[in-house]
Amino acid sequence: MPGNVVAVGGYLPLLRIERKLLAKELAWSGLGMPRAGLRAVAGWDEDALTMAVEAARALVSTESAPAALRFASTSAYFTDRAQSGIALDALALPRTVRTADLANTRRAGTSALLDALLAGTDELVVAAEKRPTRAGSSAQAAYGDGAAAARTGAGGGATLLGHASLTHDIVDRYTSRDHPTPYAYEERFVRDVTVAEILLPAVRAALDAAGVSADRIAQVACAEPVSGCWKSVAGKLRIAAPNHCDTVTEQAGDLGAAHALLGFALALAAAAPGELVLLVGFGGGADALVFEVTAPVAGAAEVAALLDEGQALTSITRFLSLVGEVSLDWGMRSEFEQKAQATALERVGHDMIGFIGGRDSSGNVQFPKSAYPVNPALTEPEKMEDVRLAELHAKVVSITADRLNFSPDPPFDFGLVQFDNGARVLMEMVDRPAKGFAVGDAVRMRLRIKSLNARLGFRTYFWKAAPIARPKLGDA
Amino acid sequence: MARGISDKVAIIGMGCTRFGERWDVGADGLMVEALAEALADAGIERNRIEAAWVGNALDDINVGNSALPAAHALRLPGIPVTRVENMCATGTEALRGAAYAVASGAVDIALAIGVEKLKDTGYGGLPLRTKGVQNDLWMPYGSAPGTFAQLAGAYAARHGIDAGDLKRAMAHVSWKSHQNGALSPKAHLRSAVDMDKILNAPLIADPLGLFDCCGVSDGAACAIVTTPEIAAALGKNDPVTIKAIQLCASNGWEMQFGAWDGASVPNTQVASGRAYAEAGIKDPRAEIDVTEVHDCFSITELVIMEDLGLSDPGRAPADIMDGRYDAGGAIPCQLDGGLKCFGHPVGASGLRMAYEVYNQLQGRAGERQRDNVDIGLTHNLGGTPFNSVAAVAILGRLK
Repeated sequence: MPGNVVAVGGYLPLLRIERKLLAKELAWSGLGMPRAGLRAVAGWDEDALTMAVEAARALVSTESAPAALRFASTSAYFTDRAQSGIALDALALPRTVRTADLANTRRAGTSALLDALLAGTDELVVAAEKRPTRAGSSAQAAYGDGAAAARTGAGGGATLLGHASLTHDIVDRYTSRDHPTPYAYEERFVRDVTVAEILLPAVRAALDAAGVSADRIAQVACAEPVSGCWKSVAGKLRIAAPNHCDTVTEQAGDLGAAHALLGFALALAAAAPGELVLLVGFGGGADALVFEVTAPVAGAAEVAALLDEGQALTSITRFLSLVGEVSLDWGMRSEFEQKAQATALERVGHDMIGFIGGRDSSGNVQFPKSAYPVNPALTEPEKMEDVRLAELHAKVVSITADRLNFSPDPPFDFGLVQFDNGARVLMEMVDRPAKGFAVGDAVRMRLRIKSLNARLGFRTYFWKAAPIARPKLGDA
Repeated sequence: MARGISDKVAIIGMGCTRFGERWDVGADGLMVEALAEALADAGIERNRIEAAWVGNALDDINVGNSALPAAHALRLPGIPVTRVENMCATGTEALRGAAYAVASGAVDIALAIGVEKLKDTGYGGLPLRTKGVQNDLWMPYGSAPGTFAQLAGAYAARHGIDAGDLKRAMAHVSWKSHQNGALSPKAHLRSAVDMDKILNAPLIADPLGLFDCCGVSDGAACAIVTTPEIAAALGKNDPVTIKAIQLCASNGWEMQFGAWDGASVPNTQVASGRAYAEAGIKDPRAEIDVTEVHDCFSITELVIMEDLGLSDPGRAPADIMDGRYDAGGAIPCQLDGGLKCFGHPVGASGLRMAYEVYNQLQGRAGERQRDNVDIGLTHNLGGTPFNSVAAVAILGRLK
C-alpha cells in the first residue's frame, strides 16, 4: 500500500535579486530574458547538498529516523561520492538508513517522491539545485537556487490517489559534461511538444488512475519546461486551479529538480481538507501524482513563509561572482589552498558534519570532543556522550567583520559563540544582517561549505552561525 | 616553587637589524647582520658560541625548517642548533631555550636568534597557516586582526565602555607608538601620525582600522647569553641579567569552555604572575621602569596593560589617555615604537623587545633613553586572544 506525504520542507537562500535589474544591465545587448519577479541566489558556500540538508532538517529527528533517504539533483557537486551519504551524516541519521541518489533529470525530485510513496515506507526525499548558467542566458535570470523535501510514511495529511509516468526523451534543453550550462531549444517547439505529447497524456492517465475528474483538482504544482505549458494543459482539461509552481518561479526561480516539490508544498499549504492536489514533475517525460488532502500537512505553512523572507541583492557584479560567471582577481591572499584528507574525514568527519560535540561527566558539553575534557574541573581522560549542536541556538560572545582575510563574499564574519549547554565554538557567521553581527546576538546553525579546493575538485562542509530569523523582503 | 633563573644568566651582547621591507636581503643576510652586531657588542668570536636556538614562526619557504638555515647562514661550527616555533612568541621562546641552557650549566655561552622574512609573500598581513587536518574541518580561517579585533567588543561589553571612547584610547596607543617610532633609527615606520588620521583610517577588521594594526616586516634580532661569572671575565662587571622568563600556553579552555568573556588574555595574567614571582617583583607598577609589550594591535596593548597588572581592570583606556604609557609617562611602553612601528618580523619580535630594554638598561637608547631604568619587562604573545602563548621576560642589572 502506498505511503502518504507526512511532512514537507523547503529552503531558499537569503539573497534575492530582481530580474529587472539583470535585464536592465543587459539591455544594451538586446538579449531577451525574463523581467518579472525575483531570483533566489545561493551564497558562495551553499550548494545542492547544503540546501537539501537545510530543507530536510525540520523533517528528521534522531528519535525517528526514516528507512531511506533519497537525494535528487542535477547539480550535485560530487559525481562519484553519494550526496545522500553526506546528507545522512549532516542530518545525524543512522548509517543503517538506505540511501540513493537520483540525477540527470529535472524530474528526479518527483520520481524520488513517487518511488518513496510506492515503497510504502517511512522515507525522506530531498531535492536541491544550484545550477550553473551563463551570463546573458535567459536561464541565468529564470533559474533559482533552492531545495525541497518531503517525508513519506503512514498517516500524514496527503494521500496518493493515483499516478502516472511517461518517459519521452525530448531535448528541450540539456547539460552535459562538455556543456555544463543549459543549452535550450526554441520555446514554441518545446511548448507544443511538451503539452501534446507529455503533459496532457500523463495528467490524463494520473486522473484516470486516481479515478477522479479533472474539475476536482483544486491545487496544482506543475513544473513546466517553458512558461505557458500548464496554462495550455489546464485549458484543455478545464482545470481552473492555481499552479503554485508559478509562484516559485516568480518569487525564487526555476529550481530544477526541487521545483515541483517546492510548488507542491505551497499547494499543500493552500489546500483545504478534502481538496485534491495535482503534482507534475517534468524532465525527459513527466510524473503526475494526484493526492487527496485529508489534514494540514506538517511544514507546508513554513515553506510558504519562505517566499516572503530574504535580503535584496542589488549588485550585479556580486551576483555574477556568486553564480561563478565573473572571476574577480582577489589577490594573492586568495591563493591559500588546503587539502582535506580522507583519513581525517573518516576519523572525525562524522562529528564534524553532524556538528556533534561531547558531554563530559560533569554535564558540560564541548566541541570537538577530546580525551581530556576542556572543563578545568575534570582532570582525567574520559569518554564523552554525543551531543548534536546543529539544532541548538547559541549567542555571540565575540565578533568581527574581517576585511583582510580572503572570502569570496566579504566581509568574513567570525567569532566565538556560546551554547547554553556549555559548548563554546569559534565559528564563521553567515546571512549577515544589514547592521552586521553584535556581541549577544542569538544565532542558529546552518550547514555550509567550509572549504573549497577547486584545483582538486573537493569541498568540505561544516556549520556556520546565522541570525535566528530572516528579514522580510523589503525590510533589508 | 622552583628557584628559577633570576640573575643566573647574563646578556653580554645583542644585535638587531633594521626592520622593514628589506628587499635588499634574505633571511640569511638578516641573521648575519644581527649576529655581527651582537658579537661586536659581546666582544667575543663566533666560535665561542656553544649552542644556538633559532626562532622562526612563519613562511617556512623563505627561512626553511629545522636548525639548518641558521647553521648554514651563520656557519655555526658543528654546535647543537635548535629551531623553536611558538607563533608570535617565538623570539622569547628562543631566548628561553638559550637562557635555560646556560642556567643549567649545559653550556657556557649560547645564542638566541629570531628571524622572519615576511615580505617575500607578496602581500600585506601574515600568511595563513593550516590548523591541522582535524581543525581545518571546522575552525574558521580568520586573519590576525580579525581575531584580535574581537577583544574590543568583548572589552567594551565587560566594562560598559562606549565604543567611541574605546576607539579613541586605541588610537592613542598607536599615536604614542608612532611618536616613539620616529626616534627609532631601525624602526620600520618612522613617522608621527595625527589622531584624526588614525581614527579615520579604513577598517581592517571591525573596529580595527589600518593604524590599529602593526607593521609586517622583515628582520632579525639576537642575544648572546652566558653566566655572570663569564660575563665578568669578559670585562662586563655589571651586565644585564635575566630576572625571569615565563611562558603560558592555552589548553583550549578560552575557546571551548564558557568561563571566559573574551575581554582579556588570561595567559598574560598567568605568565606575568609567574614572572613577577621569579623576579621577586612585588609591586609591578612601582618597580617596572619600561615595558615592551606585544602591541600587534592597539586593542591588544590596551588589554595587556590590565593583564600585566599595570592598570586596574577597566581603567586602561583612562590610563592610556592620561599618558601613563607615553614616552614621558610613569611606565613608558614601546619606547622603540613597538610592533606597531618598529615592525613585526614574527620570530624576531620577542628578541627585538629585549634589545630595546637591554639598551635602556645600559643607557644606550639615544634619543629614546629614559632616566633611571633598572627593570624592564617584555611581553610576547603568540596566537589569538582565545588560543595563545604568552611569554613574559624581565630584565635588569646584576648589581
